[in-house]
Amino acid sequence: MTTSARGFAPLRLLDRAVERLEQGILVGGILAMALLNIANVISRNLLGGSMSFAEEANQGLIVLVTFMGLGYGVRRARHIRMSAFYDQLRGRARKALMTGIAAGTAALLLLLAWFAVVHVQQLYQSGTVTPALRVPVYLIQLSVPVGLLLGAAQYLLTVWRNLTTEGTWLSFTEPDVYHEAEPESASC
Amino acid sequence: MLILVVTVMLVLLALGFPMMVPLAGAALALLFGFFSGIQPALLVQQMVGGVQPVVLTAVPMFILAADIMTKGHTANRLLDLVDTFVRHLRGGLPITTAASCTLFGAVSGSTQATVVAMGAPLRPRLLKAGYRDSFVMALIINSSDIALLIPPSIGMIIYGVVAGVSVGELFIAGIGPGLLVLALFSLYCWMAARRQNIPREPRAGWGDRLRALRSASLPLGFPVIVVGGIYSGYFSPTEAAAVSVLYALILEVGVFRAVRLSEIPGIALSTGLITSVVFILVAAGAAFSWMISFAGIPDMVLGDFIQAAGDSPWLALAVICLAYFVGCMFVDPIVVILVLTPIFAPLIAASGLDPVHVGTLVVMQAAIGSATPPFGCDIFTAIAIFRRPYLDVIRGTPPFIAILAVATMLLIAFPSIALFLPNLLY
Repeated sequence: MTTSARGFAPLRLLDRAVERLEQGILVGGILAMALLNIANVISRNLLGGSMSFAEEANQGLIVLVTFMGLGYGVRRARHIRMSAFYDQLRGRARKALMTGIAAGTAALLLLLAWFAVVHVQQLYQSGTVTPALRVPVYLIQLSVPVGLLLGAAQYLLTVWRNLTTEGTWLSFTEPDVYHEAEPESASC
Repeated sequence: MLILVVTVMLVLLALGFPMMVPLAGAALALLFGFFSGIQPALLVQQMVGGVQPVVLTAVPMFILAADIMTKGHTANRLLDLVDTFVRHLRGGLPITTAASCTLFGAVSGSTQATVVAMGAPLRPRLLKAGYRDSFVMALIINSSDIALLIPPSIGMIIYGVVAGVSVGELFIAGIGPGLLVLALFSLYCWMAARRQNIPREPRAGWGDRLRALRSASLPLGFPVIVVGGIYSGYFSPTEAAAVSVLYALILEVGVFRAVRLSEIPGIALSTGLITSVVFILVAAGAAFSWMISFAGIPDMVLGDFIQAAGDSPWLALAVICLAYFVGCMFVDPIVVILVLTPIFAPLIAASGLDPVHVGTLVVMQAAIGSATPPFGCDIFTAIAIFRRPYLDVIRGTPPFIAILAVATMLLIAFPSIALFLPNLLY
């Protein structure tokens, strides 16, 4: 943590806790998927029958990993984007564009999170359950609005970091460092 | 309507928004601008539905297997094997590079993992042998792109899901074109070695070769599982992916002891992160695809051309190839596949083309485009890994792009290069 991050201490604590949770879900989700699919192959080939719940468990895990990993991807500044124009900018302009990108993305994710809440509410009211495990579908898809909200929260934290701390920040914790090997470094 | 979608996408893309924003943003713009009667929650339903096809589970499983192997010894053992058999030929070292990248592509399916695993040990040796760096870097980038064609291929899984084509058939169809590109690259390496007047390496003795073969015999089980398992109909792609993970664990943790069990959660975290980053695009792409189909945009874009395509499938193929190639020059191949596939779907249906043939061509264009300036994404992987300036990295690429263009034309003219193997089977 940089010294400039001191003012964020209480928030940082909460953020760390959420980060741990996201990491746990990603690790658990991927390992569970691996175990489930390996067990399913063994079951189909050696015991003669697929596990009936494997398909829906896989679908649930994929949704969980996709949406709950959204915020973690923002933290690590790993979401794929085309940065050619951004890379040409320096100093204030670069910081301003990054802040704008983070704010715009946060707004879009908040909007989608709202739609996702409506979607999950409809699932709740319909009382749909999965065919094999009889799990309510709304429970599985609860990770969609939660994940979108956590993603939006990370982008909002990025905006805040950029507004309150010097330099450009790709996320709340990742500063934007110019790579020596990048093409535009020749011009600066 | 069309202008609105294109403008929203291009502006958001060019400004550098994360790729999910142009996709979801364009879908939302259409929804609010023209179809306000539709419930917005349906978009979320499409997003969730987009990541639920079971075959997509194969993506994180193949990434996990590749991540375990990249930490372990598999890459080195495969490299040693090719090296002992090929290095004494003229151009032997670059041919080793191309062949090792292909072979590692057959175990990992990730272009970037291949650049790291093969580029790092081979580039210093190629430079020491006297090859020009621009040639070496272009060789590594382009050879790694063969990994996109050779099964397992993440690009093919995504294309298969979006286009509704059998992933197993696509996997098998990628082998022929992948080997064709390897053969053409090897020919160019031979010519480059002659032109740059590079002396040959000493021939490896049979003792060394047998030792390398024994040491690589277990890693060679991966292509057997993936290709053999799918080809024989024993495994679905998802099952082959799960078995790859099990095999990678047994090999690297149990047999080679190159990866400790305590490292597995860290590897799973990295796999989970990449999975989420890719699948959020698949989710946003599904919403986008649903919205533009609902709005009839593919018809607007291609219009009369769809009618014409029925009479001239060649023209249709050329247009499809050009569109994917140009797209991948600027944007990540997965995004290009997600955006263009639903637009071209009616064209492919009307032209009567074999969707598996089209799929291999599309993935080949993705491979070429990703290594092509200005913004092919592999160029930036190479800049990061080799720490060389942009211009140095791209200087050697034109001959490789020309070779890949020739391979594309051959594949258009002779579909059996791709379809021979799956036709035997399906």
